[in-house]
Amino acid sequence: MKRTYLAALALAVAAIAFWSFRPEADVSGVSGALAQNTPAVQPAQPHAQAPETGVQDQNQPYVEACAREGLSESECVGRLIWFKATGGNERFHTYTFQQRVGVLVDWYRVLRTDQRDDRFWAWGIINDPSCCKPGDANCPAKTPDETFGLDWCPGDDVLLKYVGKQGYIDPACGLKDAALDADDPHSQGGKLDQRHSACDLRFGSSTGALGIRKFPNPRFDPEKWKALNGGTASWAGFDSKLDARTGVESDSRVSKLADGSIEPPFLIGTSCGSCHIAFDPLNPPADPAHPKWENIKGLVGNQYTRMSELLGSGMPKSALEWQMFAHARPGVTDTSAISHDQVNNPGTINALVNVAQRPVFKGESVSKWRKVADCGAEKDEAKCWCEPNRQGKCWQFSTRSDDVTPVFLGGTKVNLPGIHHILKGGEDSTGAHEAIQRVYFNIGSCSEQCWVNHFTDMRQVDPEQRGFGQTPFNVGQCRRDCPNFRAVEDRLQNLLDFFASAESDETDLYVARANARKAKGAAGSYGRAELIADLDKEFGKGAVARGQEVFAENCARCHSSIPEAEGGPFKSRDFAAPSDAHPRKVRADFLGNDQATPVTEVGTFRCRALHSNHMAGHLYMEYGNETLRARPVVADIPEADAMKNGGRGYYRNVSLVNVWATAPFMHNNAIGPEVCGKPANKENDFHRARYAGENNALLASQPDCVRYDPSVEGRFELYKRSMAELLHPTSRGRKITLTNADLLIDMGIRPLEGKVEKPLHGFGQVKIPMGTSAGYLNGLQHKQLVGDLFLAKRDPARLEAAGKKALVPTLQAIADEVLKNPSRFVDVLRQHHDFIAANYQSCDQLVENEGHRFGEDLSEADKKAVTAFLATL
Amino acid sequence: MKALQAVVALCAAAGLAACGPEKTAQPNIPFAPYDKSYASKPDLAQVDHAFPIPTAEIARITPDYLATLDQEQLDQIYARLTAGPIPDGAFDGRILLPKGGSGKLRLAELVGGFAGTALQLKGLVLEEVGETLWRGKVFYRDERVLRNRIEDLSVLKRLELVRGEPQKMNFNGKETWLLFPAKLYCGQSLLDARRESIIIDYFFTDEISGYQEYPDFLAGRRGLRVRDEIRMIRPGLYLGRAYLDKGFALNFTLYNKAMDEQGREAFIKTGQAQEDCWPGTQQRKLLASAG
Repeated sequence: MKRTYLAALALAVAAIAFWSFRPEADVSGVSGALAQNTPAVQPAQPHAQAPETGVQDQNQPYVEACAREGLSESECVGRLIWFKATGGNERFHTYTFQQRVGVLVDWYRVLRTDQRDDRFWAWGIINDPSCCKPGDANCPAKTPDETFGLDWCPGDDVLLKYVGKQGYIDPACGLKDAALDADDPHSQGGKLDQRHSACDLRFGSSTGALGIRKFPNPRFDPEKWKALNGGTASWAGFDSKLDARTGVESDSRVSKLADGSIEPPFLIGTSCGSCHIAFDPLNPPADPAHPKWENIKGLVGNQYTRMSELLGSGMPKSALEWQMFAHARPGVTDTSAISHDQVNNPGTINALVNVAQRPVFKGESVSKWRKVADCGAEKDEAKCWCEPNRQGKCWQFSTRSDDVTPVFLGGTKVNLPGIHHILKGGEDSTGAHEAIQRVYFNIGSCSEQCWVNHFTDMRQVDPEQRGFGQTPFNVGQCRRDCPNFRAVEDRLQNLLDFFASAESDETDLYVARANARKAKGAAGSYGRAELIADLDKEFGKGAVARGQEVFAENCARCHSSIPEAEGGPFKSRDFAAPSDAHPRKVRADFLGNDQATPVTEVGTFRCRALHSNHMAGHLYMEYGNETLRARPVVADIPEADAMKNGGRGYYRNVSLVNVWATAPFMHNNAIGPEVCGKPANKENDFHRARYAGENNALLASQPDCVRYDPSVEGRFELYKRSMAELLHPTSRGRKITLTNADLLIDMGIRPLEGKVEKPLHGFGQVKIPMGTSAGYLNGLQHKQLVGDLFLAKRDPARLEAAGKKALVPTLQAIADEVLKNPSRFVDVLRQHHDFIAANYQSCDQLVENEGHRFGEDLSEADKKAVTAFLATL
Repeated sequence: MKALQAVVALCAAAGLAACGPEKTAQPNIPFAPYDKSYASKPDLAQVDHAFPIPTAEIARITPDYLATLDQEQLDQIYARLTAGPIPDGAFDGRILLPKGGSGKLRLAELVGGFAGTALQLKGLVLEEVGETLWRGKVFYRDERVLRNRIEDLSVLKRLELVRGEPQKMNFNGKETWLLFPAKLYCGQSLLDARRESIIIDYFFTDEISGYQEYPDFLAGRRGLRVRDEIRMIRPGLYLGRAYLDKGFALNFTLYNKAMDEQGREAFIKTGQAQEDCWPGTQQRKLLASAG
């Protein structure tokens, strides 16, 4: 106890010292000279008001974490932003997503404090160690009435005063920015602070789940809320189904969450950390439902999050949106579900590890805005723009191929010679800063100002009207019109520095085991040699050494970042060798070359590779580079050219650093056992059967899922089982995703007879039976189908001219059948399933755990050997 | 045809424009260039930024003028408006079915040929029919409720969508039907997210005082799921968009002559009006005629 107290005290002192510390040494060469010759750094836009301080300092655990990780000032600011900043997306998650996109989030269901202990197991999100359940010992809130049924969190003593009122000053206004970068053209040599107000980063306070933040809703009407919910302790009237009151069956699929006139007490936003904050593999929590701050890291990536289910939590299971999107595996989310591209493509949250070692690519043609100190004679805002009321804070749009990636490592600026390839296919390819900024778009920031207007409107079938298809949003416009964009953009270097900080350093199994042994009070040290000895014992004598040879022969061509031309032959390579140039001597080899491999070569589930949002003319066009879009079409992808062109059809060769900690495998976590949370509340148990027979029907008997286990040995066990499946493809089984409830769409005019609806013309509901391919729903190109059906009847010559002559007879038959009996249109489409799949599907692959068969021909001993070797990296 | 009549009638915003704005010179309103394809339509943020409308021109806008515009032009005008105050009181209205670049109704353009011409004629009739059914909208600002003033139920009765004789209410000393109640709130525009619109939402119509199952259910969640959104052109004149189950159906205008006359001069001078809804963060260029 005493030692713990002393350690905590020491940590606190160190943290305070760090926070007060200005890294003079880091910039002494610059600031020392400046101090004598120039004015002090001037804030161009000081924060108008300081936030009120609460009884507990929200930032304290973050300050302590920075000290614990040894982060620099810039890295620490970046961490704070990564964990807390919503970039204003609380409006997106409260209004835009619900009303414009049409998907309801039941935030109370996710965040209710009475189910705090079950939250991780249900939703995979991580409880904030600083928050508490009202009424618990030492919790400042005594009843859930005080917190509207959510956890009490630091800052809430201030925030709760402003629910239903104006005047809340966001805690982000109190952010103490890091020192300026003298090389930044906007800093005038480090003399002028022109960063946008930090207030627009928008921190709010924690909801009780890390990365999910709340803000007081000034429009909240307490009396209306109490009347709806019977008090303030729950949101029961807001999120319950209407049929209990009306007695009408279709109202069992309707809740007041759809009522835009109801203003909840909080606007709920998400930070990037909502997906990326995770348990530290080196120091996992004893109880995942009750972690401590030292168990938390910000860059590992949450392998358990059910973000898709969370974002659809207000939809009934029978809803189209639920069945289309809420089926990703834990740790996987479809980042183009909201910015929908009609491709079924859930992908894992990437582990950000050894970021400075990650490959960069030189010479790629990148069109983007770049910082400049002035626009010269250029007056065209589309080419160069200066922020009003600033001194030389300008950006110029240009196409160049000489970009570098600046990172501060140990206080030293390093320009990595090129740009990264980020996302599964390397689609984010205009620079690390831009890729980070795009994460903020992905979580909803600036949605209203910049990008929702560029979505496809799924109901718009007229190709001459807005919304028929995506259009690219304009980054320059977004910078000009969205203050949250500017607040984030002016601190992107802090975020990138955090990415390259010690918090992303490799988390080796031997260190994890050493920590676990220490926690148990075991005697003796445990290092890499001891790990190898244990692995040899488990996998066979000399397994690790043999595994290295197998890896060099079979894997390194893709899974090494140092080519033989540069680092010598793989067969004599030490893949664990440290980088002498890195201040913390992390592993030199990133264990993945990040180069693009045709999806047909790797053979894994190809739909993600057909993701289209970065193509020319599409939403994220400005975040993909020209070199990427010029990649040749992968001819043997079975889909039509229109579904695979524009640089699509590839996967990046990913890093295997710390692969022991990140199973299951592949971009969709499909190779390896299915994992699940088994929550106490069965309503929130989202595990679904995936194993199917050759007839694509689910097997009657499904293998047990593996419950989330972030412990060291839990991760290692999952790794071994996943490796076994990887190397034994025939033992994987066939995993597919089918709808797990009847899909019901209530439509048409349905007058009541008593409590029973009597639809006009007998047509009041579309029903698609349970067991339909979820990807089929997701990828149906319904606009093209509707357009072609129309032309087949009205103007078949146009179809023929478009090269669709062969389709005309079937299209005409479908159109005739539908016109004859409109209420049977679902049945008609089902009858023509194969025709539609072949011609109107963005991706028709069904089995999700195929491919990456490399290594299947190895001997059993070599398979064990490579499994052992990879566990050391 | 009957169903379409009902659709037009139910989602249309207002009654006959019996006392519309006085005829003035056509406004000189700039539009960003566009072509047919959806991809050619300019970013609404750029339209707002590069083509601000002087308040003096806004003052010249009439429903008749708006009726001459194609859908893209109406979209571009809508995007340059703010929500303004949530209205209070009675407004007259006019239905504006979407037109394509040819000047014909878009539906007629799509179908083309003889059938398209027939649809064009039917559409023009539908505008008239809708306006005959609807006599106006009445906003109850303090209650955040809206009701539709209707004096003729014959079409709905023929469709057997009215049972018995709905109860009439007293409005301005006259017994009339105030049907299809809706909730009023500030919310998301389904066209232009950059600032909020005033939403007229019928989804939970059955919760509103005075709701009569027949025919009110027709606009609600067991009917056509009507959702209107409006933005203020100037005090007393609003441009609206009606959606059925979130699919765009038509445009409409709402007009209150007294409010227009009372607020017009001040608006021309300042361009300012009360804003009840979130105005967004994009800086609007105001070309007011002050001084």
